[in-house]
Amino acid sequence: MEFKLEAHRIVSISLGKIYNSRVQRGGIKLHKNLLVSLVLRSARQVYLSDPCPGLYLAGPAGIPAPPPQQQPGEPAAGPPAGWGEPPPPAARASWPETEPQPERPSVSHAPRVGDEVPVTTVTGVGDVLQGGEADATEAAWSRVERPRQAAAREAEGPAGGWGVFPEGSLAARRPCGCPLGGEDPPGTPATTLRTACCCAPRPAEDEPPAPPAVCPRKRGAAGVGGGPAGCPAPGSTPLKKPRRNLEQPPSGGEDDDAEEMETGNVANLISIFGSSFSGLLRKSPGGGREEEEGEESGPEAAEPGQICCDKPVLRDMNPWSTAIVAF
Amino acid sequence: MTSRLHIRTPSLREVESQGEGHTGSATADIISTVEFNHTGELLATGDKGGRVVIFQREPESKNAPHSQGEYDVYSTFQSHEPEFDYLKSLEIEEKINKIKWLPQQNAAHSLLSTNDKTIKLWKITERDKRPEGYNLKDEEGKLKDLSTVTSLQVPVLKPMDLMVEVSPRRIFANGHTYHINSISVNSDCETYMSADDLRINLWHLAITDRSFNIVDIKPANMEDLTEVITASEFHPHHCNLFVYSSSKGSLRLCDMRAAALCDKHSKLFEEPEDPSNRSFFSEIISSVSDVKFSHSGRYMLTRDYLTVKVWDLNMEARPIETYQVHDYLRSKLCSLYENDCIFDKFECAWNGSDSVIMTGAYNNFFRMFDRNTKRDVTLEASRESSKPRAVLKPRRVCVGGKRRRDDISVDSLDFTKKILHTAWHPAENIIAIAATNNLYIFQDKVNSDMH
Repeated sequence: MEFKLEAHRIVSISLGKIYNSRVQRGGIKLHKNLLVSLVLRSARQVYLSDPCPGLYLAGPAGIPAPPPQQQPGEPAAGPPAGWGEPPPPAARASWPETEPQPERPSVSHAPRVGDEVPVTTVTGVGDVLQGGEADATEAAWSRVERPRQAAAREAEGPAGGWGVFPEGSLAARRPCGCPLGGEDPPGTPATTLRTACCCAPRPAEDEPPAPPAVCPRKRGAAGVGGGPAGCPAPGSTPLKKPRRNLEQPPSGGEDDDAEEMETGNVANLISIFGSSFSGLLRKSPGGGREEEEGEESGPEAAEPGQICCDKPVLRDMNPWSTAIVAF
Repeated sequence: MTSRLHIRTPSLREVESQGEGHTGSATADIISTVEFNHTGELLATGDKGGRVVIFQREPESKNAPHSQGEYDVYSTFQSHEPEFDYLKSLEIEEKINKIKWLPQQNAAHSLLSTNDKTIKLWKITERDKRPEGYNLKDEEGKLKDLSTVTSLQVPVLKPMDLMVEVSPRRIFANGHTYHINSISVNSDCETYMSADDLRINLWHLAITDRSFNIVDIKPANMEDLTEVITASEFHPHHCNLFVYSSSKGSLRLCDMRAAALCDKHSKLFEEPEDPSNRSFFSEIISSVSDVKFSHSGRYMLTRDYLTVKVWDLNMEARPIETYQVHDYLRSKLCSLYENDCIFDKFECAWNGSDSVIMTGAYNNFFRMFDRNTKRDVTLEASRESSKPRAVLKPRRVCVGGKRRRDDISVDSLDFTKKILHTAWHPAENIIAIAATNNLYIFQDKVNSDMH
């Protein structure tokens, strides 16, 4: 628990530093911001992978779940309370639409599901920094996470097969408790998987890590929240919110991100801000963009910059989250 | 290494008031780099305000034996001015990041000074004679009334007060997109390199309109960025070899004969991380802030946040020596992260014989490590201890346990007083310590030869 509190503190300090670096004289210092982003990433992993649902639900400023910002008319964003809760049946329909994201190394994560489920998820979601750096960080925290992985694996049980889901077509069958509708000819591997996944393990399942890993950063809140093992047992919270972002196709990343942030959820902010290094730098208004030699690193990196302008978002957030959003 | 040192303390601020009359704020006086020239006769300092101050060692004289070999101000000039990049809407700081002297080839001295973006070659010349007795001009330079000229004379050179003139001979601009962190003159005395966060360029000293890119670690997608270049230096003897350090704590030795683009290193020096010391800040404290070849060219010295390490060029797997500078800070990394001290970039230095290494720390402490005897000492650069011919007293930081009378406890260290920049005379036991905006020069008079 102390670990998590410290991680939380470090995350907020790091975000503050990155925010301040935008207005520094002489432009953004690449080296310092890179180091801060590495710390942010480490702290984020610890913060998100710590199995303390009570703390999650409390939200960043001690707001009891559900967060009061929840707009009645809107579909609930769900991340704070959504963490650890299995997506509602309707939500699963969105998975196939989010999965085929070409820029997401979803398939590469699949084989690792069995071993490093929570870590994979956390790093997979929105974590574009690849290879050695992510691996090193994961390995570093493997001591912390191994107990949870064991727990996760147990809880998942047949859900381990979900690692294969990136193939997309399978997930399409999954909405509702019984995707088995005879839509697939029996005997296909897909059927087997579906059978295994759908009904039986659901009451006892953890948030399947693979689909969130598959999903891009746009679904950061959902993915992040769902990723780590040790989430509360599904159905335990009567007030669980439907995972709104799961329902939405990631048509506009901006919309997704903006609406995620309305919940004031730390994990959302972390996943968004920590997702891409240049994305952090890109937040600076007009200047200090070191990588600006005509390169655009993709729509997902451009999104965070747009969030800052989203005034309705700011209105609904608690002060702490507001500061981060403003950044 | 004897611990008896005599002290001479010219304060840069005092020097300022005598000279140019720059009335910048106190932060502009903060020294940002210190460098002896190849003979040790001259000492150059750069500061945050873009100024360079050069000190010269007074020749020893029989008349005042106790003031032999002290350093006095030789020249002060404004090297860089603040600039504004209109395209990117960002200000370019005038702070001098590095100064490197060129080997002296004639009566003039030359040095390279750089800020974040532009490198300048300055030529420093002396004028101690002037012509007198012009026929057409009088002493003030006004034209004479020709009717008063009755005879012709040949102008003669008369001695005058020494005047030091500094002029910018080359300006190497627009070579870098990112912030320049180091420059290094090649032993061939014709080329030099400049390194920024992601690239290293090779310049010819006489050509300013182009440079060769010899290292480029910029990833195709900036989102994949995992490490940056933090320092680089040419080998002191082999003009084809250079080393650069990274934020991940590794060193790469590159050979320019192997390929035009030296992205592929010849040797990679990296120490495996100690998993028991893992923390949130492991990556930050492993980032190398300075790398220096030994005078012999056989070893390299690196500084990261908590240690200095000596590497043998022939062994890539791990350093041959590791010295703890202030390991008592390891448990305080979180606070140091909060107050940004963990990002401080300390420099390191070899003595002339490569037997002692030196680096700075906090509370105006600096540390010396004798590689042969394995003894180390902590000394303080402060006004109290800086009276002429005073002897520096070793200091100690206590970390709990028995506390001696003059010990400083870790919690009472002043983290705003940091010694980032130090330099050692190339031949003698004279060291220059930059403590914020003061320059301390310590000389070891008891034993001024190298040992």
